[in-house]
Amino acid sequence: MNKILLIIRREYLSRVKKRSFIIMTFLTPLIIAGFYGLIIYFSIKGINDKTDKIAVVNENKTLTEKLASNKNVTYEYVNKSFETLKKNLSKSNYDYVLYLPDFDIEHPKGIQLIGTKQAGLTLDGRISDSIEDLIRDYKLKRSGISQVDLDNLKSKVDIDTKKIGDSGKEENSSAGASTIIAFVAGVLMFMFIMLYGVQVMRGVIEEKTSRIIEIMISSVKPFQLMMGKIIGIAMVGLTQFLLWIILTFSISAVAVGVFVSKDDAKKMVNSSSQVGAANPAAQNVQAAAMSDSPFGNVQKSLENLDFGKILLVFTFYFLGGYLFYSALYAAIGSAVDSETETQQFMMPVMMPLLLGYALSLSVVTNDPYGSVAFWLSMIPFTSPIAMVVRLPYGVPGWELALSMGILIAGFIVTVWFAARIYRVGILMYGKKASFKEMVKWFWYKN
Amino acid sequence: MLSVKNIVKQYANHRALDDVSLEVEQGKIFGLLGPNGAGKTSLIRIITQITAPDSGEVMFNGQKLNGNHINRIGYLPEERGLYKKMEIGEQVLYLSKLKGLSTAEATKRIKFWFEKLEMGSWWNKKVEDLSKGMQQKVQFVATILHDPELIILDEPFSGFDPVNAELIKNEILELNAKGTTFIFSTHRMESVEELCDNIALIDKSKKILDGAVDEIKASYRNNTYKIEYKGDVNFENNGLFEVIENNTIKDGKILKFSLKPNYSVNDVLTLLLPQVRINHLEEVIPSINDIFIERVKR
Repeated sequence: MNKILLIIRREYLSRVKKRSFIIMTFLTPLIIAGFYGLIIYFSIKGINDKTDKIAVVNENKTLTEKLASNKNVTYEYVNKSFETLKKNLSKSNYDYVLYLPDFDIEHPKGIQLIGTKQAGLTLDGRISDSIEDLIRDYKLKRSGISQVDLDNLKSKVDIDTKKIGDSGKEENSSAGASTIIAFVAGVLMFMFIMLYGVQVMRGVIEEKTSRIIEIMISSVKPFQLMMGKIIGIAMVGLTQFLLWIILTFSISAVAVGVFVSKDDAKKMVNSSSQVGAANPAAQNVQAAAMSDSPFGNVQKSLENLDFGKILLVFTFYFLGGYLFYSALYAAIGSAVDSETETQQFMMPVMMPLLLGYALSLSVVTNDPYGSVAFWLSMIPFTSPIAMVVRLPYGVPGWELALSMGILIAGFIVTVWFAARIYRVGILMYGKKASFKEMVKWFWYKN
Repeated sequence: MLSVKNIVKQYANHRALDDVSLEVEQGKIFGLLGPNGAGKTSLIRIITQITAPDSGEVMFNGQKLNGNHINRIGYLPEERGLYKKMEIGEQVLYLSKLKGLSTAEATKRIKFWFEKLEMGSWWNKKVEDLSKGMQQKVQFVATILHDPELIILDEPFSGFDPVNAELIKNEILELNAKGTTFIFSTHRMESVEELCDNIALIDKSKKILDGAVDEIKASYRNNTYKIEYKGDVNFENNGLFEVIENNTIKDGKILKFSLKPNYSVNDVLTLLLPQVRINHLEEVIPSINDIFIERVKR
């Protein structure tokens, strides 16, 4: 036992002291905080700062109402011909020319938008929406609805989704918030298992190519060496994760202060109905900035998610999934002489992980209680990702317990399986391993 | 101190060791010889408990080999290396702590050995900054640092320049004089004759020869002699010996002959002395190398 502790210590310290680890640990939260700051910045300023100015040539006799300008698009009706405007477009102060020919109101055709640059999808959508609104309004009025009624028809709807929690209490929830958390958790889990699993494999290959392996196993059992490495690297992963959380939160707080000027903040706070209790500066600004946008709901629901539970479960599945896969990676590392030879063995290990990742982020987020989601979160090859993706939507306790139990059993099996290949593989130099060979190794007696 | 009894080790389609038995005496240097793939490394891996035999057993000081013996054996494998990114001192410290030494004791011993083998300034160096020969020295220190009773060296001199090879050889002899037992696996026969008291020869998974080096050599004597002489003489039909070869060299000739039964080398001298001037006479004793080649070819 003492020996395994020594191995864990070396595996841990030699990685944590590396320059690349330190850089990664501090850079990643900066990048995350940067993105976070940018999102807040844009949600305050409006995603599109620039307003497109559009000259409208209306030759349509029916549509006499004008297109209404908004903060993204300004329409100016001009009395020039489409041809002249087109010719002088680059010299004029218009971005685009919109041509509305005298089309049949039932079949609007021949509308053209010409600009010095290609109009994006968003602009295209906005303009066609405006025109569609105009046509619809015209038709409604034609059937006798007054302008006042028309205005009254327009209302903005914001659904406040709630769910009844286990305790019977109503909880704020939002599919949006859950999806965001699910995505982040799924991507992180996938990254973690990949990143640190591959590190285990590299470590094993390094010991093999540097030929220290035989010196090591004349002192310790191969199983101790393998487990020491796996646990040591797991602790590196947890350390990094913990530092990321701490750093991201502290840097985000600072970033919010930098991205949002004091005046803006005051304005926002005054106009906002939501006033956060703790950490006034940062939270108020965020809450205020988002109260008006769809983000507002998400923000509210985020506060209602049980982060403690999610974090705990995430940590469990990270450790479980990592143990499950890293043992397989260790077996691969033991079977090869260099990283270039790992390709053929990586495939079968990567496939279930990738499949779990892809399905979790598509099928599971769409239907977190469906049978695909259920089975993916039970099978230990995919459960680490599938379960953390399902988690924010709420998972029954028995399912969580069953999935955790299966995962524990799963990694005991893979560790046992991998150890049997590892103990033989590490002593095979210059021999090209195949799956057949590995099966043979598995059945070797000591 | 170490008895290997009827060891059999079978890998899938290949029998690595077939009923091999050896006896390594306390305080001796034991040479384990054999061509590549004969089974030497398989046997060493069983003694170091890296693998286990299919049948047979190994006794260490009268006890059946078990986990407690790991720290009493030092092993320098043929395929050896170090962690490239780790500092030398830290690395040797790690390896010796894995052998059960305390940090303080290990540090003290590392300093002693580094000083002794002219490696004093290497503590903070990284392995990748050392030459191959320097790395071998570090590995040697790591092997002997926990003061094992039995040290197993697999091709210990490969990669050493002559100066360092001599240095290490002297350390081996010094440790041996203090009572450490050695098992020494190699193809380099000249070092076997210099160092080993006893040898065993393994070929095609079987032990084909073992015993004390001088006894084995004596048993391979075959009445062959070599005479360096000057002058002309006809050896035909002399009745005493058969000529193996008779070569002209710069300063005379060399005659190699095998003596017929019931005659002594004195009879040959009596025959030759009146006719030629004799510069040199010696008995041709086969080297371990010759014996090795002869036995393995058979």
